[in-house]
This record gives sequence, structure tokens and C-alpha cells, in this order.
Amino acid sequence: MEKDTLVDELKALIIKNLKLQDIAPADIDTAAPLFGGGLGLDSIDALELVVGLEKTYGIRIPDEDVGKEAFASVNALADYVLRNKK
Amino acid sequence: MSVPVALVTGGTKGIGKEIALLLAAKGMRVYMNFSTDRDAADAAGKEFNGETIQADVSDQDQVNAMVDTIMKKEDRLDILVNNAGIIRDGLLMLMPAKNWHRVMEVNLNSVFYCSKAVLRPMVGNRWGRIINIISPSALMGRAGQTNYAASKGGVLSFTRSLAREVARYGITVNAVSPGVIETELTRDMEARIRQEFISMIPAGRFGTPKEVARAVSFLASAEAGYITGEYLSVDGGLT
Repeated sequence: MEKDTLVDELKALIIKNLKLQDIAPADIDTAAPLFGGGLGLDSIDALELVVGLEKTYGIRIPDEDVGKEAFASVNALADYVLRNKK
Repeated sequence: MSVPVALVTGGTKGIGKEIALLLAAKGMRVYMNFSTDRDAADAAGKEFNGETIQADVSDQDQVNAMVDTIMKKEDRLDILVNNAGIIRDGLLMLMPAKNWHRVMEVNLNSVFYCSKAVLRPMVGNRWGRIINIISPSALMGRAGQTNYAASKGGVLSFTRSLAREVARYGITVNAVSPGVIETELTRDMEARIRQEFISMIPAGRFGTPKEVARAVSFLASAEAGYITGEYLSVDGGLT
């Protein structure tokens, strides 16, 4: 999969999974941190995204070290998914 | 919606068995976990329309394998009752370190392993119930039970903290504290000790496993959805 396509897909998944109101994919900065940043999301919101990503892409985000790397930005998340998806 | 699935650790004997039977009677699909006593498990399994499943809950790999097995069969896990527990009573000054560590492994570490393993399915479903069995020793302290009391006190603090982490996902985490309950353990008690216990209990009698099971069943129900991070004593006024 093209990374650009995946980035768009991930933004849509984040909006749907975390039920973000009044936020469009274009509003999510590809390079900004997903949690504790401009989206108003906290670390507890991340739990649901972990479950959603694991279901959608067959990846595993086993612990917080991996989580920190994967959720550094949508860009980092796309890299992580590309490297690990089945 | 398919039938809710429940897992009760240490679920083939005593209080755990009564909890499993009551949840099954309420229409849930129930897995009774056991560790070593296969005869007791087979006997308990015959008493109800549910499953028995073996795993040592103090071993994280075995816990993960048990939850995987249930998820493969049922594709959901809605209710976890962390009931498995042991005592290794003794005065601290003379307590072997192994009796400290084993109580922590079985009573406290198991709660971490089992709760962690069920959270992914529960978060995914945005619904769940975790009910931890604690003890008056955790609330009042008891001479000869520093290890047990510390493990159950740990479970209570764990309960309150996890409740805050997962409340927004429709998952509640509560504890039930049974007082002195009629089980194999207390049935064999000397009459004198029995009388001593009863004199401490305002209700003037021991509780029954069923009375504990009813409290667990309430906290496991949809009706209890706004109660979380709490403990419910079922102890005849003891604490």
C-alpha cells in the first residue's frame, strides 16, 4: 500500500474510532503527536485506537514503548503499520 | 446480542463455584477456571451448563493462553471475576519469604495478568465488568495475615485505579469483600474458634457462598453500570 493512501486511511480511522466531532482528515497534522496535542486526545483515548488498529491491520501494539513510537504522529503510525501489518 | 461470556478464576470450589453457578443461572456463558484439582473441576463442571478451563493464574503465559482459547470460541469476554486466592498465614517475624511471594503471585499478580488480558476485548466492545474478590483483612488488617492483607489491599487499590482508566469505555471495576463464609475451610473449624469468630460478627452467623455470589452478580449486571471503583462488603457487619 502507498504510504499516502495509508495516511489518509489512518486519519479516517482515528476520526471514526475516537468519534471525533467536527474534525476532518485534513485537520489532522500528519507530523504532530496524536495524543496530548492539538486533537485534545489523552492517553486513555489511545486504548481504543490500539484495539481498532490491531483489528484493522492485524498488528500488535504490545506495550507503551511501542505505543510511544507508533503514536508519535500519523506519519510514524503509518510507518509502524507498514512495517508490521500482516 | 449474543449471550455475555464470563470467566471466574478459581471457579470450581467454594465461593468461586457459587459465583460461576449463579452467573450461569442468570443466563451467561460461564468459564470456571481451575489450576490443579481436575477432579473438583470435573465435578463442578457437571453441575452446570458451562465450561471448565485450566490455567495457573499466577503465570502470565497460561493466563494469555486461557483468554485466547475463550476468545477463539466465543469472540467476546464480558465479565471477569478475579476470585482465585490462597492463604499462607503466619506471623511476619517468622514468615518464610516464599510464603510472602507465593501469596503475592496468586492473589495480586494474577489480577494484573487476567485483567490485562481481558481489557482488549472489553475496550473493543465498549462494555465490561471486572469484579475482584478482596477480604476484611485488606480493610482492617489481621495478625498472621500480613502477606494476605497486603495482597488484597493491593487488589483494592488496583481496583480503584483501573476503574478510572477504563470508565469511559463502559467497563466497571469493583471489589467484593466477603466476611467469614461457610466453606470447606470454615466447616472444619474448631467449635471454640468458630464461636470466637461469630462473636465478632454483628449478624451473629457466618455468610453463605450464595450471599457473596449475589453481590458479584449485581455488580456484573447492566443495572450496576454507574458503580465503579467501589467495594461491597458482604460480611454481616464485621467491618
